Amino acid sequence: MKLTERQSDALSELINIAFARTGAALSELTGHRVMLNPPEVAVYRTEELRPALAKFVPGDVASIHQVFSGPVAGDALLLLNYDGAVHLTDLLTDGHSQSPYLDESAREVLTEVGNILLNACLGMFGNLLNVHVTFSVPRLHLETLDELIASTTSDKTEMHYALVVYTAFQIRHSSVKGFLVIVLSVDSLDRLIQEVDVWEAQQGT
Amino acid sequence: MSSQAKPSPKETLLNAAVLHWMHDLAAQGIITTDSELNVVEWNNWMEEHTGKRANEVIGNNLLDLFPELTQRRLDRHYKWALEGQVRVLSQALHGYLIAMPAVSSEHGCTQMQQAVRISPLTHEGKVIGTLTIIDDVTERVAREAELQAQLEDRSRLLSNERLARNEAERANRLKDEFLATISHELRNPLNAIMGWAHMMRVGNLTPANVERAVETIYRNAKSQSQLVADLLDVSRIISGKLRLDVRTVDLISIVNAAVDSIRPGAEAKGIRLQTMFDPAAGPISGDADRLQQIVWNLLTNAVKFTPKGGRIQVKVQRVDSHVEVVVTDTGVGISKEFLPYVFDRFRQADASTTRIHGGLGLGLSIVHQLVDLHGGTVSVHSEGEGKGATFTISLPFVGVISNQNEAEAVHPTQSDEVLSFEGLPSLQGLKVLVVDDEADTRELIREVLKECGSEVITSPSVAEALIALEQHKPDVLISDLGMPDEDGYSLIAKVRELPPERGGEIPAAALTAYARAEDRMRVLRSGFQFHLPKPVDSAELVTVVASLAGRAYKA
Repeated sequence: MKLTERQSDALSELINIAFARTGAALSELTGHRVMLNPPEVAVYRTEELRPALAKFVPGDVASIHQVFSGPVAGDALLLLNYDGAVHLTDLLTDGHSQSPYLDESAREVLTEVGNILLNACLGMFGNLLNVHVTFSVPRLHLETLDELIASTTSDKTEMHYALVVYTAFQIRHSSVKGFLVIVLSVDSLDRLIQEVDVWEAQQGT
Repeated sequence: MSSQAKPSPKETLLNAAVLHWMHDLAAQGIITTDSELNVVEWNNWMEEHTGKRANEVIGNNLLDLFPELTQRRLDRHYKWALEGQVRVLSQALHGYLIAMPAVSSEHGCTQMQQAVRISPLTHEGKVIGTLTIIDDVTERVAREAELQAQLEDRSRLLSNERLARNEAERANRLKDEFLATISHELRNPLNAIMGWAHMMRVGNLTPANVERAVETIYRNAKSQSQLVADLLDVSRIISGKLRLDVRTVDLISIVNAAVDSIRPGAEAKGIRLQTMFDPAAGPISGDADRLQQIVWNLLTNAVKFTPKGGRIQVKVQRVDSHVEVVVTDTGVGISKEFLPYVFDRFRQADASTTRIHGGLGLGLSIVHQLVDLHGGTVSVHSEGEGKGATFTISLPFVGVISNQNEAEAVHPTQSDEVLSFEGLPSLQGLKVLVVDDEADTRELIREVLKECGSEVITSPSVAEALIALEQHKPDVLISDLGMPDEDGYSLIAKVRELPPERGGEIPAAALTAYARAEDRMRVLRSGFQFHLPKPVDSAELVTVVASLAGRAYKA
């Protein structure tokens, strides 16, 4: 399945609204101006996910993972490479940490940030589809990309797609790259794209 | 869970009972509310830490119970939870949800630090309430802060260590430079000495040139001996061995003596020497020799660095409870960059200064140390290069004038006149045994002593000396200490074992380049009666021999 250019643009625009909301929430929380770069969206089959992401995350991945269920179900993840995760917490918590490691407090901050971002995006999708999705408690994992992909809850017998959204957090003249991965079943993705088409058509009028 | 069959009423009751127990046993705060945010459950932990009993809280609206939640805009999280979102509140970004005192204040936290999760409670797809879980993370936060401090300490230690290493390297470099300077400075006079001595030995000098040769050799030897004296002073100061012979002294006489001693040098350069002595300056407490050395060092420095036709002013004045010696010159001055290092050991403004002006760069360091030992201060002022310099020594004033000490206070200038035997005691009829492995020293001493009328026997070694002692029965023994095979200590030990009739009680003086106080002590303890430092001063040598003669050694 491939997105048409118009679908991709429309999806980017929708996610950008969610990102703006996330940026505002993080700015208020940290007292620093936080912005998320306009997203780039791509769709992959789950088997293609690993090679597609590998070049961004050569080592361990820090992921904030939330499972969502309801009429649309799947896995939502915010991925950062390890150094990026350390840097991001540093920037968000006034950056006096000299530690090159993610301690408990840093992991908690990342979990909260991921939670805000995933809620904003999934909330936006829920509104668009006019469905109510429920979320699991967000969890932070530090693991390799393979372990991460294997841990998604999706039923392995069914074909799944991953919506991958590339972005970067801009905080205090620094930039931390990250991406959002939403793994959906074919059905869920179909529904989403249909709704995106409808929304896009409405925007035109 | 939702796909399972509807539980029976009994199961529902059981589940409720289990849940109740679990909540009460939990080591976390658990709050549940209905969809209006009225508290439904408030577990033991919450009671314990907030001091609010469940029965006071249940049925009341959470946001009414804790208005702070709304003030801190945390009520939004409950709104989002009611919309179905799970919210995480990290300690780092929020601190806490509901204010509670910390369990123990040993971590420096009075407020409990909390990590919080707020989740929606749903039933058949609808949100029916909220669940709040609060974790006490105070200890963890403290532990992390400690770890952080350790990391910072370690990086500070690392950078301190780096600083120390740099400092050590710098000191090393200074020592290297100093060694280079010292070799240069010691070799310079040596060249002149060797050169002229060689020409004299060859013997084709006119009488006028011989005089010049002797003059040059003497001058250079003197300057070298000054270098060595400086070095010994420094080493004594560093090892804390320098002792001051403190008496009440008259500073003006001392300064006058120093001024007199440098006057010829100043006049040769056409430098005007001006003195201004305040009669109220009065006596101070100190070591006259060392005080003179201080002033002399400052004055020679001033002469050295003041060009022809310049001016040097020496002032002694009373300022409150201090007496000040101020030496001002119109010389080359000192750059701002170098000013702080003027009194550092081995420091000279730069290598080129060394070339132009010579010297080891020890003089001012010695001045500083000596003034310190006197409980005074020394400071320097210069407007910059080419603008002259002013050194000010401030010494504590002593209120009492003692006439008895007045005479001792006046120290004459060093007697550095050319060798003269006038006025020296006669050594007529005395037999002196001189032991030294160096022929030159032996010959020098022989000449000096012969000049005063004594008979001299010389030996190059301990073995020969012991034979000569019994053969010639000398009246006085002069022996070098450092000799190959057997040294002077060994000689004196063997001599003192002899019976009196074989020379066991012969008066003896040791001759040595080891001029430190502990060397002197060792010399006296070993059986010598006198210690003569090298290079030998002729007058001193003759006086010592004369006074030793007839003074049998008594252990």
